[in-house]
Amino acid sequence: MSSSTLTFRNKGPWRRGLIGLLLVAYTLILAEAYFRLLDPQPLMPRYVTGTPWGVRGNIPNARYWNHTPEVDVEYRINSQGLRADRDFSLSKPAGTCRVAVFGDSFFFGIELDVTQGFAGQLEKRLIDSGIHAEVLNFSVGGFGTAEMLRTFEGFGRQFQPDVVIFSWDDSDLQDNVRSGLYRLEDGQLEKARDEYLPGVKTLNWLMQYRLYRAIADHSEFYSFIREKSELLLKRQMRNLSQARASASASASASASDSAVPTAQTSGGEEATVEIADSSQKRRVVDLSSEILLRAREEINASGADFYLVEIPFKLSRTKFRSGVDVLPEAVRSQINVVYTSPALSKAARPDLELYFETGQGHLTPTGVAILVDETMKDLASSSRLAACR
Amino acid sequence: MLFNSGVFALFFAAFFPLYLLCRRHVAARNLLLIVASYIFYGWWDPRFLILVAISTAVDYAAALGAAGKPVRSTDLLKSAGFLVLVTVVSLAFAPEDHWLVAPVLGGMLVIGILIAVIKRLGEQARPKYWLLLSLTTNLGILAFFKYFNFFVGSAAALISNLGFDPHAPRFSIILPVGLSFYTFQAISRTIDSYQRKYEPQYSIINYAAFHAFFPQLVAGPIERAGRLMPQFETVRPLEGRLLVTGALLFAWGLYQKIVIADNLGPIADAVFGAPLGQTAGATLVGVLAFAIQIYCDFCGYSNMARGLARILGFDLMVNFNLPYFARTPSEFWQRWHISLSQWLRDYVYISLGGNRGGQWKMYRNLMITMLLGGLWHGASWTFVAWGGFHGAIQVVYRALGIDALIARTRFFTLRGFAIQGSAWLSTMCLVCIGWILFRARTFEDAVTVFTNLFATSGYSDAQFSTLLGYTAPLAVVEIYQRSSGRLEFLTAGPFLVRYTVSVVLVLTLLAFSAHGSHEFIYFDF
Repeated sequence: MSSSTLTFRNKGPWRRGLIGLLLVAYTLILAEAYFRLLDPQPLMPRYVTGTPWGVRGNIPNARYWNHTPEVDVEYRINSQGLRADRDFSLSKPAGTCRVAVFGDSFFFGIELDVTQGFAGQLEKRLIDSGIHAEVLNFSVGGFGTAEMLRTFEGFGRQFQPDVVIFSWDDSDLQDNVRSGLYRLEDGQLEKARDEYLPGVKTLNWLMQYRLYRAIADHSEFYSFIREKSELLLKRQMRNLSQARASASASASASASDSAVPTAQTSGGEEATVEIADSSQKRRVVDLSSEILLRAREEINASGADFYLVEIPFKLSRTKFRSGVDVLPEAVRSQINVVYTSPALSKAARPDLELYFETGQGHLTPTGVAILVDETMKDLASSSRLAACR
Repeated sequence: MLFNSGVFALFFAAFFPLYLLCRRHVAARNLLLIVASYIFYGWWDPRFLILVAISTAVDYAAALGAAGKPVRSTDLLKSAGFLVLVTVVSLAFAPEDHWLVAPVLGGMLVIGILIAVIKRLGEQARPKYWLLLSLTTNLGILAFFKYFNFFVGSAAALISNLGFDPHAPRFSIILPVGLSFYTFQAISRTIDSYQRKYEPQYSIINYAAFHAFFPQLVAGPIERAGRLMPQFETVRPLEGRLLVTGALLFAWGLYQKIVIADNLGPIADAVFGAPLGQTAGATLVGVLAFAIQIYCDFCGYSNMARGLARILGFDLMVNFNLPYFARTPSEFWQRWHISLSQWLRDYVYISLGGNRGGQWKMYRNLMITMLLGGLWHGASWTFVAWGGFHGAIQVVYRALGIDALIARTRFFTLRGFAIQGSAWLSTMCLVCIGWILFRARTFEDAVTVFTNLFATSGYSDAQFSTLLGYTAPLAVVEIYQRSSGRLEFLTAGPFLVRYTVSVVLVLTLLAFSAHGSHEFIYFDF
């Protein structure tokens, strides 16, 4: 070690700089080779940007690829930022019904071809059942319900949909808190901020460069670093928000005479923590519930029916956890919820993949087909769609 | 605070710049080390800092007295002042439950009375009583916090087997992390002082820094004062080379812990958590997984400790020297947890008479030493049995002259290769059988795991590939270390090779580390 270090030190500044650059290049090549050989990473480039309605949107006309050990998919975004191979006029064609789909990566169709995704399969099933329908996919990876609602209000509404479908999965609860677009004040939902554009400024700047786009599209090392950093950041933000919520819960508990004895008599420190956690959880659920009710109100007011499709969480190939159960019955009873976990559980077999097992683990075309089946059953009763037969 | 946690990374990032500022001044550096070490340890539970302080305060004075040096009132005041200061600070940060206060005050009072009594004794007799005070204090703390419930429970079980109905007191005692390590280190310093192998100094700051040195406080190596203490009494050179090699050693230890040990842990847990109904294949993989897990967990910790210490300019002893290359049980103990093996050898085995007094006495001494070594690992009869098992196989090897035969045999002959190869295989089988006793929760579980190994089912679907995937890189490295004689392989070879290996190590840490921060197994000992 010492002899090499000595040799290195004795070189002139230019040579040292050159050696340093070569070392950086060597490290990057080595890292790329390492991941390609030993720990292949799914390539999931992010083609999102800001929108006039204050949340993220897909970059119009973008074309990019996603490679995982199981799939090779090309994503094509139309000029309006929707995942589709064609553009849609703002006014509805005569005799055609429109279904607008809002969701996160599950509805966007990550790891799926455009025809295999929820919107693609749903459109085909509607047409096959004799309904003249167009399905417009407004989904963006990473969206929560709050961003779906903003996109509907700012953009989707202009397309005069007859039916609006939101996706719902476990991550929406935290996404809605993280975005901070809405807050609850005395139980009432209020708009808290106009914009939520995480990382968009940096991404916009980076996306100007062809080199960055090439790295984002093709480098497994970069993909790994980006995913890990995002995960770490999300975890830290969640811990921070939990710590803040626990602290405020403890503060309010110590201020409240009735809360303190309950916490202390039910087992000391752990009980206090549990109470703090459960009250925090209640606030998180309340926020999402109110956003959903606001969405239903807005959508109905614009003359469309509102449906919420459950995306279950995969525990194993044959076991799934419902994401909707967390919402209070009083909220669910006011919304058309499409429950899909019973059908997925019924169809599940150890030899059948309903979710991908590499990459980001989204639904396979078979899994999506089950969701579409269940959605079709609920849509059968829609009088608005019946008019387009 | 775990070395493999984000909190520790933040702690070290805040500590190290301050350390660089203070490092040229012995007292300032050692004061900073004391504060940092107490924060590091108090992160688990600030109340237990009082125990570290008691051990420090008593052994500071006891070692001086045991060495025959005068223990002045100012020394006792320094000692008491340090203890009071730590007690006040730790209770300020401790949870509201201050149950420790009464026993600690009681303990301090007893120690104070004993010191007063010792000071009244004749000059000749004093060293022995200072030594006794150190032994009583350290072993007393250890006995209460680690073994109280075990001994009381065992006695109650024995009495109830005799037909009586005892009402034994049971306390819910939390075992302070690393207790067995720092008490043993403190005892060794006082014994060495008593035996005039080490001359204690009067600076309590230097001693407190040595006693609580955070890289090795909670899981060793159990250092000897004669080797490590002088490093706290001088300004240590801090060179770029030390930083680089220290960081690499830390990274290798981290790899052993979070990539190998923590990923193999669940395989072992599945087998030892519910041994009934496990197939032979799954059991074999589980036992081997545990053998690798415990090695990488503890050796990984030791390497991280050595790496951190080196970054700070200190040199800690090698605690593991490729133990899975051992060809006899004795050789295994010369390579496994070397600091404990040497402690037991010097302070128990030799004190009992060692090899002197004939074969039978030697066997007896060996058995007692290994039984105590087993008990040191935990308050459970399975650990005692594990120690007894290792003692017994060493006795058998010595009685049959196998150790001597292996020492005589040259490896590079066909006969030598066959003998050494079969000796290695036999030793590894025996070590793995020992690990079953060590890891099993009960003797029934140990018997079930052992019996499962002799079935013939389940070899096709066992996780051999997972085990191999994590073990193969380790085996390659250790074969290189063994053949080259360089334990620190990351600093060997041409620059590009070293650089490539280091980058691959970092990438592996990023890509294959197990989720979450897992505690070190030896923290419980």
